[in-house]
Parts: sequence; C-alpha cells; structure tokens
Amino acid sequence: MKILTFFSLFSTFLSTNSINVEENAGQFFSSGHTNNWAVLVCTSRFWFNYRHVANTLSVYRSVKRLGIPDSHIVLMLADDMACNHRNPKPATVFSHKNMELNVYGDDVEVDYRGYEVTVENFLRVLTGRLPPSTPRSKRLLSDDRSNILIYLTGHGGNGFLKFQDSEEISNVELADAFEQMWQKRRYNELLFIIDTCQGASMYERFYSPNLMALASSQVGEDSLSHQPDLAIGVHLMDRYTFYLLEFLEDIHPASKANMNDLFKVCPKSQCVSTPGHRTDLFLRDPGSALITDFFGSVRKVEITMETINLTDPIKEAEQNPMSEKLQKVTYSYVDQLPVSEIIHQKPKQKDWHPPDGFILGLWTLILLVFFKTYGIKHLKHIF
Amino acid sequence: MAAPLTLLLIVAVTIRAALYRSSLADLISERVEVVSPLTAWKRVVEGLALLDLGVSPYSGDVFHETPLIIYFFHFLVDYAEITFMLADVITAVALYMTVKDYNKQVFRKQKYALEADRYPLDCLELIRSPKEMYYIPLKVAMFYLLNPFTILSCVAKSTCGLNNAVLALFILSTIKGNVLLSAVFLSLATYQSIYPLTLCAAALLYLMQRQYIPVNYRRASFWWFIAQYAFMYLGSLFVIVCLSFFLLGSWDYLPSVYGFILSVPDLTPNIGLFWYFFAEMFEHFRLFFLCVFQINVFFYTIPLSIKLKEHPVFLIFMQLAVISIFKSYPTVGDIALYLAFLPVWSHLHRFLRNIFLVSCVLLTCSALFPVLWHLWIYAGSANSNFYYAITLLFNVAQILLVSDYFYAFLRREHHLTYGLYLKRKDGSEATLVLK
Repeated sequence: MKILTFFSLFSTFLSTNSINVEENAGQFFSSGHTNNWAVLVCTSRFWFNYRHVANTLSVYRSVKRLGIPDSHIVLMLADDMACNHRNPKPATVFSHKNMELNVYGDDVEVDYRGYEVTVENFLRVLTGRLPPSTPRSKRLLSDDRSNILIYLTGHGGNGFLKFQDSEEISNVELADAFEQMWQKRRYNELLFIIDTCQGASMYERFYSPNLMALASSQVGEDSLSHQPDLAIGVHLMDRYTFYLLEFLEDIHPASKANMNDLFKVCPKSQCVSTPGHRTDLFLRDPGSALITDFFGSVRKVEITMETINLTDPIKEAEQNPMSEKLQKVTYSYVDQLPVSEIIHQKPKQKDWHPPDGFILGLWTLILLVFFKTYGIKHLKHIF
Repeated sequence: MAAPLTLLLIVAVTIRAALYRSSLADLISERVEVVSPLTAWKRVVEGLALLDLGVSPYSGDVFHETPLIIYFFHFLVDYAEITFMLADVITAVALYMTVKDYNKQVFRKQKYALEADRYPLDCLELIRSPKEMYYIPLKVAMFYLLNPFTILSCVAKSTCGLNNAVLALFILSTIKGNVLLSAVFLSLATYQSIYPLTLCAAALLYLMQRQYIPVNYRRASFWWFIAQYAFMYLGSLFVIVCLSFFLLGSWDYLPSVYGFILSVPDLTPNIGLFWYFFAEMFEHFRLFFLCVFQINVFFYTIPLSIKLKEHPVFLIFMQLAVISIFKSYPTVGDIALYLAFLPVWSHLHRFLRNIFLVSCVLLTCSALFPVLWHLWIYAGSANSNFYYAITLLFNVAQILLVSDYFYAFLRREHHLTYGLYLKRKDGSEATLVLK
C-alpha cells in the first residue's frame, strides 16, 4: 500500500516535473546572457594607495568565489602591495585591520601589472583592439551574450580618473569606449562600479543601452577610506568597497539577491559619501537583475532524466510587469546610432569682413587729419 | 643725402628679403627674445583665423593685438613681409628726417649761443660743426636698419616693427612742430601699448619751447597749451577706442589688450624683468608687486623731465630706453629703436666712461641668450635661473648704457657752462661726479 502511494506520488512528481520543465524551458532564455566576464582595475600605485589594490582584490575574490574563472577575469593592478618592501606582512593584502581576510589568497592571477595599467591598455581591453600578439589572458573575449562587470578604483575627480599618477581617463572617453563595445556587440549587459572621489561623474556621460552604473560618491563628494591598520601603517580599504565586500560575502551562487539590494549597500551613515547609481540605460527592471548575473557565473542547468519535446516555439518567461517609465524601445543594432548628429558638419567658412561703418569712419578721420595738417589747399588737387 | 639713404634702404630690404626666403625665418619667429605674446605673428594669424570662424579673437588667451591691427592685417595678411619691411623703411626714413631737423636746430641754437658769448673760452673743442654732423642722419638710419635686432624682429614679423614705426612718426611730427599730428601719433602709440604715454612730457616740453611758450607752471599759457594738447590727445584716443569698438562690436579687446599689458598674466620668459619675479611670487603679493613694477616705468618721467627741461630730445631718448627696459613684455625690437639714436650723441664719446664694458656685456648677453635657452629647455642641464641671470645682466647693461649717456650729456652741458678744465677755488684740478 505504502509502496503504491509512494509510486503514485513519484510518478505524479515526475510527470509534473516534466510538464514543468517543458513549460519552464522558457525560463532558460529569460535573462539573456550566457557567460560572465569581469574587468577589475586598480589605477593607483605607491604604498599609500594600498587600499585601492585591496579594493580590487576583494572584488576579484568575490567574483572568483561566485564562479567566474580566471580566464574570464581581466585583473589590472597598478602596483604590487603584497610584495612591496614596505609590507610588514609580505604576500598578504588585508581588507580589515584585524587581519580577518587576506584578499590576496593563494591563487591570484594578475593580467596587467605595474606600468602596463595605462589608459590605452584599459581602453584597448574594453574595445578589443589589441595587437595580435596579445595573449588570451589579457584579452576581453566577450560576445553579445556576455554580462560584464567593470570595477574601477583609484583617485578621481569630476569627470576623470587618474591612472598611475601621470594620465587620466575622462568620462567621455569611457562612454565612447562602451559605445564601441555596444556597436561591436561585445556585451549583453554591463555593470559598472567605480569607487573613487566624485565617482558619479564617471557615469554621467554613458549613452549606450544596457548599462547599469554604481558609484561610491556623488559629484563634489570625496570617497573616504575605512580604518587604517597601525601595524601595516596605511588605510586598508575604502568604505564603499568594504561594505560591498561585506555584502558580497553573504552572496552564494544560488542567491536570489538583486540589484536593488546592491543599491542599498553603504548608506550615507556608513559611507559618509552618498553612493549613486544609474539605471536609466538598463532595459530590464533592476529588481529582476540578480547579483549573480554579474558577480557570478551561474549556469542555468537543470538535470532531468527525460526527453523534452521542444517543437513548440519557446516563449520568453513573462517578466515582472514593468512600470511605465521603464518601458523602453529595444534597440536593434542597426538604427541606434544617430550618425548625422554625431558627425559634426564642418561650418561653412565665411570670411569675416570689417563693418563698412568702421572703414568709412577710419578713413574719414585719416583724411581729416591729413587736411588739417597740410591745409585745405591740397583739396583742389584731389577734386 | 637722398642717394646714400636710398642705397641703405635697398641694402636693408635685400637683407630682410634674403632672410625671409631662407629657413631661418621660422626659427627666428619662435625665439622668445624676438617675439612676445603681445607681438607674435603666429598669434595675429591665429586671431584672424578665429575671426573667420566666427569666434571673437579675444576669447581665450591667444590674441592680444588691438582691433586696428586686425583691420590692418585683414587685408594685408598675404603681404605681411612687405608690410613689415615697409614699416622698417618708414621708421628709418622718419628717424632720418627727425635727426636732420634736430641737428639743424641744435646747430642754430649753438650759433646763437656762440654769438651771445655764452660759452667759456676753453670749451670750444666741445662745439659741434656741421661737417661732423653731416652724416649723423644717415648713421641713425643705418643704425636702425642694419641693427641685427631690427632685422631679427622684422624677419620674425613681430608687430613691434609697427609700434616702432608709429613711435618714429610721433617723434618726427613732434620735431617738426606739428601739434595735432604729434597728439594723434602719440594716441596711436599709446593705443598700441600703454607705455608711450610717458613720452608726452617730452613732446610737450619740446613743442612749448618751439613755440616759445615759457615752461613755467605759474604761467597761464603753459596750462593752456597743455590743455590744448591734452584735448587733442584724449580726443583722438577716444575716437580710436570707439572706432575699435565698432570694428568687432564689443569691448572685449580692452581687457585682452590693456588688461594683459598691465596685469601680466603670461609669464613666458623674455628679455624683461617681469616673468621670473611673477613666477616665483605668492598670489597675495602679486597685486602689490604688479603696481610696483608698473609704476617703475612711469616713475622716471617727472624727475627726468625736470632735469632735462632744456633738452627734450634727449629726454625722448631716455624715456624710450626706460620704456624698453621696464615694460612688461620687451623684445629686441624695442631696444633697436632707442639704440638707433646713439649716433645723435656721438659727440659725447669722450665723456662716456663705461662704454667698453657695456658694449661687451650687451654683445655677450645677446650671444648667450639662445645658448642658455637651449641648455634650459632642450638639454635640461640649466634652469630658469641661468636664463634670468642673462636677462638681468642684459637689462643692467642697458641701464648702464643709458645712465652713462645721461652722465656724459649732463657733463658736457656742465662744461659748456663752466668751462672744460674745472678748477676748485684754490686752483687745483676738480673732478665732476654725477650724484
């Protein structure tokens, strides 16, 4: 009897499962991305910028823990803190003063190190315009189904980010690089996080679709660092990334936390600066975008023992009804570039000519002075 | 004297034309000693190009010329070389005619003084004769045209050549006694760069003496003449300024030209004294030092004009020298103008004390300017102190030159009054010291 109930339950379970799988096959195609990439950049060098390297390494650690492999991470560190002469604890980079967390770990793979971290290299990585001799580990080999996480940290200002204390990248250049990526179909969705002073200025100029941006401070505000460690002697991390790391430590690959939770990370009471975010270019509702869509590499895999009939056309799973303002026209690659607005027409050269009144006045005066000096008697020679 | 002058003009024009065609023209037009932000030809072309694009040329820090220059070069930009050569020729001819007239007057005054027995007997060797003064005008024209400074300035197409032409015409009209033209040219010269304002004292003195108005501040005719001259000067300045407003329809040029000259924002090294000081200065002292430096240019007018009341042409020479040394953006073209006057005072050579030292220092510094510039900017083995040292030395040499001539002039006047061999009351030989 029990076996029969069990068997009937099992069969109903199986049958419902199979029906579910067929009906839910649409869910496999709802999020749009099939692979994840991460570009993590630390732009500052010198020992006192320890915290920027720690920032980047902590995001690297989270991203790797959540599943993105090293082959899909481009890690650019402008300086080497772990093996710096001034590091009292060599081969470690800590995130908190109690040395709780060594973000350097055992298997860090740095792709661009030291002086290789330049604006040119960064932009070349993003746009893919690298010389043919560049090894694969240094390339961002994304395609149009890739979700990319880009994390920048360093010293910045209103509209620029300083690289290596000698050059800077502007928000316009960054926006243009992302537009190039869009046109070359190098991303499906892109999450841009920046932890610098006045970081919000860096995402102000974005104009490509499917970008979401977060910054640690608004224009006019400085991003502050967390506590210093008295043994190491420098500030270990920046506040925003510290609380971001804390938040990410609670995320596991099956977590359903979404972007709205990420926006709440580090409120003003903890961060002192006001973190900002920008979602107007992002076509989905941020609430439907999972953290693991960007920070992890979650494969949609469901194991089933039966064959599934996919002859019916797969419909996309219904998404949450979007509010009016988020209803956007989906861009196609062809017609989203207003060429005539972007290519400036050269203004027609019309020569400037001095006004006639001026010429008249000047020569009248000259003639007046001439005749006053030399007398009216010369007048009869003219007329 | 027309023939030698024409020959000289042809030689000068040939030299300039030859240099224009050579590759040196580009090299010279970038030298900071020859062009300044006020006078550079590159900036004139840039301003005209901006105007063609519909932008005011005074936006940004590029163009610091007056609107009359815009008008002038709008039509002549293709003939720029001929224009600058012509400007040099006009300056030389004007100086020639000036000095000829001046010599005539000097000789006439000397004749009257001789007849009135005003000179002591033993200073007859100081009296000048027409024979020795015959070639002075030609020498003045030659000193101006064949001076390497002038040639460099002309080849670089620096608008300093035009400023010099206006100043030379001003001096010419003053010497000829034409009050209106003198006021008009002075207002033009002041309109171009503010500093020739100091020459008005000399012009007033000269014109008053020429019209036999006594130079006495208690007399009404003195003030009446000053009022007339001031009215003509201010009137023509006002007319020129308003006309410049009508050219572009805005008053932008006032801060760009006069604000630039007076507040010295551009600290590119040149042969003047301002750049190094102001590069080192703290911001809160800047206004104070700016006032000090600018007053320094205008300050010598009153004492010099009191001392040189009887000799306004020498006063003009000294004022030109003071302007060229202490102005905010001097170039070698400014120096060339007052150096052209040196043959006029060639009779003073026996009283000059430091002329060998001064000429050696001037020559050496002129040669060292490009060397130390190269060492500082290109080789990196010197720094700005080296270049400023040469600048300082150059200016000190110029000041020494001018004060030496001042000393010699006053000494000659003293001898002409008191005799050549001075004796103290007890009969022993006395020496004359400039205090």
